[in-house]
Amino acid sequence: MPLTLLAAKLSLPPLRPKTVLRPHLIEQLNAGLPAGLTLISAPAGFGKTTLVRAWAAACKRPVAWLSLDEGDADLAGFLSYLVAALQTLDGHIGTGALGLLRAAQPQPPTESILTALLNDVTAFHNNFLVVLDDFHLIRAKPIDDALTYLVEHLPPQMHLVIATREDPHLPLARLRARGRLTELRAADLRFTPAEAADFLNQVMGLNLSPDDIAALEARTEGWIAGLQLAALSLHGRTDPARFIQAFTGSHRFVLDYLVDEVLERQPEPVRRFLLQTAILDQLSAPLCGAVAERDDGQAMLEVLERGNVFVAPLDDHRHWYRYHHLFAEVLQARVMAELPDLIPSLHRRASLWYAQNGLPAEAIRHALAAADFDLAAAQLELAWPHTDDRFHHTTWLAGVRALPAELVRARPVLSVWYAHALLATGDLEGAQARLAEAERWLESGDPVQKPAATQAATLVIVDERQLQTLPATIAIGRAYCAQALGDGPSTVQCARQALDLLPADDQVRRGQATALLGLAYWANGNLEAADRIFSDYTRQLRSAGNLPDAISTAFVVADIRMALGRLREAAGTLEQMLQNVVAQGGSVPPETADLYRGLGDLYREWGDLDAAARSLLSAQELGEHTGLFDWPHRLYVAQARLHQSQGDLEGALQLLDQAEGLFVRTPLPDVHPLAARRTRIWIAQGRLTEALAWARERGLSVDDTPNYLREFEHVTLARLLIAQHTSEPGAGSIREAIGLLERLLSAAEAGRRLGSVIKILVVLALAHEAAGSRPAALGTLERALMLAEPEGYVRIFVDEGPPMERLLHAAAARGTAPDYVQRLLAAFHPAAPAPTRPYAAQSTSAEPLSEREREVLHHIAEGLTNREIADRLYLSLYTVKAHARSIYAKLEANNRTQAVAKARELGILPRV
Amino acid sequence: MPASHSHSADPDRPAVYQIRVKGHLDGLWQAWFEGLRITSEENGNTLLTGPVSDQAALHGLLRKVRDIGLPLLSVVRVEPE
Repeated sequence: MPLTLLAAKLSLPPLRPKTVLRPHLIEQLNAGLPAGLTLISAPAGFGKTTLVRAWAAACKRPVAWLSLDEGDADLAGFLSYLVAALQTLDGHIGTGALGLLRAAQPQPPTESILTALLNDVTAFHNNFLVVLDDFHLIRAKPIDDALTYLVEHLPPQMHLVIATREDPHLPLARLRARGRLTELRAADLRFTPAEAADFLNQVMGLNLSPDDIAALEARTEGWIAGLQLAALSLHGRTDPARFIQAFTGSHRFVLDYLVDEVLERQPEPVRRFLLQTAILDQLSAPLCGAVAERDDGQAMLEVLERGNVFVAPLDDHRHWYRYHHLFAEVLQARVMAELPDLIPSLHRRASLWYAQNGLPAEAIRHALAAADFDLAAAQLELAWPHTDDRFHHTTWLAGVRALPAELVRARPVLSVWYAHALLATGDLEGAQARLAEAERWLESGDPVQKPAATQAATLVIVDERQLQTLPATIAIGRAYCAQALGDGPSTVQCARQALDLLPADDQVRRGQATALLGLAYWANGNLEAADRIFSDYTRQLRSAGNLPDAISTAFVVADIRMALGRLREAAGTLEQMLQNVVAQGGSVPPETADLYRGLGDLYREWGDLDAAARSLLSAQELGEHTGLFDWPHRLYVAQARLHQSQGDLEGALQLLDQAEGLFVRTPLPDVHPLAARRTRIWIAQGRLTEALAWARERGLSVDDTPNYLREFEHVTLARLLIAQHTSEPGAGSIREAIGLLERLLSAAEAGRRLGSVIKILVVLALAHEAAGSRPAALGTLERALMLAEPEGYVRIFVDEGPPMERLLHAAAARGTAPDYVQRLLAAFHPAAPAPTRPYAAQSTSAEPLSEREREVLHHIAEGLTNREIADRLYLSLYTVKAHARSIYAKLEANNRTQAVAKARELGILPRV
Repeated sequence: MPASHSHSADPDRPAVYQIRVKGHLDGLWQAWFEGLRITSEENGNTLLTGPVSDQAALHGLLRKVRDIGLPLLSVVRVEPE
């Protein structure tokens, strides 16, 4: 959206030079400030906006203003405007919430978005007003719910003002009873006789007698819009008394009577202009010119503004205006009565103007209002590649869904975009259906199947380049679906097809196709090829300045390198990308959470469980409000592994249950199926019956041919057989387990997957040990140790528990890798927990600091500024400030120096 | 009791409604009010009368009454003759 139009929604309406001062109402509003919520609820024309605007100028608080219109009825849209309004106060507020809104579908819970937003508000120092004007225009259940949540969690510094024609769906009775609501209603807003006199004679410059004023006041019942229209009708009349007599003697609806009077006094071109532009929510000279097909739009608007009734400027530059809603309604009714056939073409012209001026959402809205579905479809088609923050996928999807289905089907480019939009929501089946339709259209040699020639021509002109590359775009969608469904050969076939079809300069889509190819290689166990592809792709994305996607591919590279047994390279990849995030400055992309998640997993493997826990916590803090929709699953799995390493098997199982509910099908290969992870914990717990049921259900057999995607399951099966044999010798087929592991080992060696090789060797050593052949066990373990030592593996051995500990002691006796083995043996028995710190012991009343608060405190003690700490910890400045305040509160300190001194006293920080 | 549920009383079936508002409304509002018949009453009120397809449509009409600041006096469902 061009800045001007957005700015118009967010800027306070210009103050009128002359208005009726209403000190008693301003006083009431001021008195209501402690309540938190002010509701100004009255029908159209009662001066709600003018009053709130006057109060905003008088109350000496910063004001975030949002003028709503019907197009904002979608929750995501509403929330992004709300954030944009708050950002007029401070650009940092709501960056996290915006990240969530920008995220892929499905949207995260509204509460998390609002919590992220309110957290930022809590860190804001000044008290301020948030005005939602014309709230009745966006009545929708999700928005009502969001508003209720907002009102119930309103931070003390934020005062909410809602101006509306009908009461919002808030628990008003409860709020009233608790004194948390101030209301002004129609009865409060009507002009009193004194105000009417002031308005007519002072503001409107009439010179009416007290009787005339009383008559007008009575006829309009203090309705401000009525008085204003009456004043306009009276302007320049020589005999006001006669007009007033006729008016007061009539039964006609005040608005009908007066608008007729006013319209009659306009020159015909002005009258026509008014009717033609009545369908517009916002008016600018070029837009009005296009819709009314005339070139004096600006002059017209200025005439109207000087006339002071029908239009109100939306910004100080006089670029955008709008009709007062009440007049717009009256005008629209007149257009419908006088020029009904003209309305669709007015909407169509508006739609075209908006499209040409880069406002796809408005263009599509007017095209749909014109019921010109072809136009709407064409604009949706063109808009898709440019969907961004302000024009959401949800809005786009809603637009497509408003079209007749057969029309979408007849437009292959649109069908394919539709498919891609559905892929982002995880709806693979819906996406495949749309792709199939597009393919049928393209393949159909039968012209009857195609839409009428003229429409087809429009279509090709609309997005000819996209049509040319459509088979490639379809192939990418197909490859995505195939890969998400685990069909590697089809992924490779479709991705190759896309690459053959795409021109060499289409970097973006070539990158997408290549990445899908890389994922297929990964799933197929060809990790080196996958590593090369993703390393290149990451570099390409980074040099193109696409940091979020570069981060996403970097963690894929790290995951692949971990499977390749190159832990240090994996860590290097993640750390380097973190440095890139810091170097670019600005806000931290939510994808960064995955970097911490990956590092956490690496620290865990290296045996530093504390560092792992800290890293996963950072991942959680960064990621929990981002709505990266496939991310929570990965985080929970990483946490489960950490709990497992910490010996908390039940906790690990619970985390896996949580992770299971959050699994989303994406093209990332599922090389560690969650059910197999769970089975490994069962085996460790001795729950072999359940483990056996899993193996049966998965149809696993020791005779299966090794296959990378099933490697994790096969190793799990071997573990199960070992456990069976150990608990009841002769029950499990330990020989077959050894045979299976040896075949898996050969496959992993052939694929040069060092990570797999080490893991399989570890289990094979345990199998030999269980089978009673200690020399074979030690020989195998020795191989594992040789390979694992350079990369610093720890948990891969230690997580195996006592049987591995015994074997390592035997290896130590033989003098195998003595330093490394000693280090591993030490890790079986971590040092007793550090002695209780005096702080925890003595502070019965004080709340202990959280992990993060300690970290912040350490940096405060180092003398870092909040900004520096924020950069260091990848947090927003507001979060750091919030942590600091919480630290002060917990330590009962008033500033940094006191907090540090107190912390040293309590032993939280080392004493100096 | 679904069996005795009067077919014509089903709120989601088309029915004739009469919406009474204060003031005499011009006939030109007819298209705006989805074709409802506009009749002036002697006491200065106006009746908007006509078939309304369901509850959602009825609420849509009431919103239009609200949007032009027309004081709403009553809404009555008239049994079809």
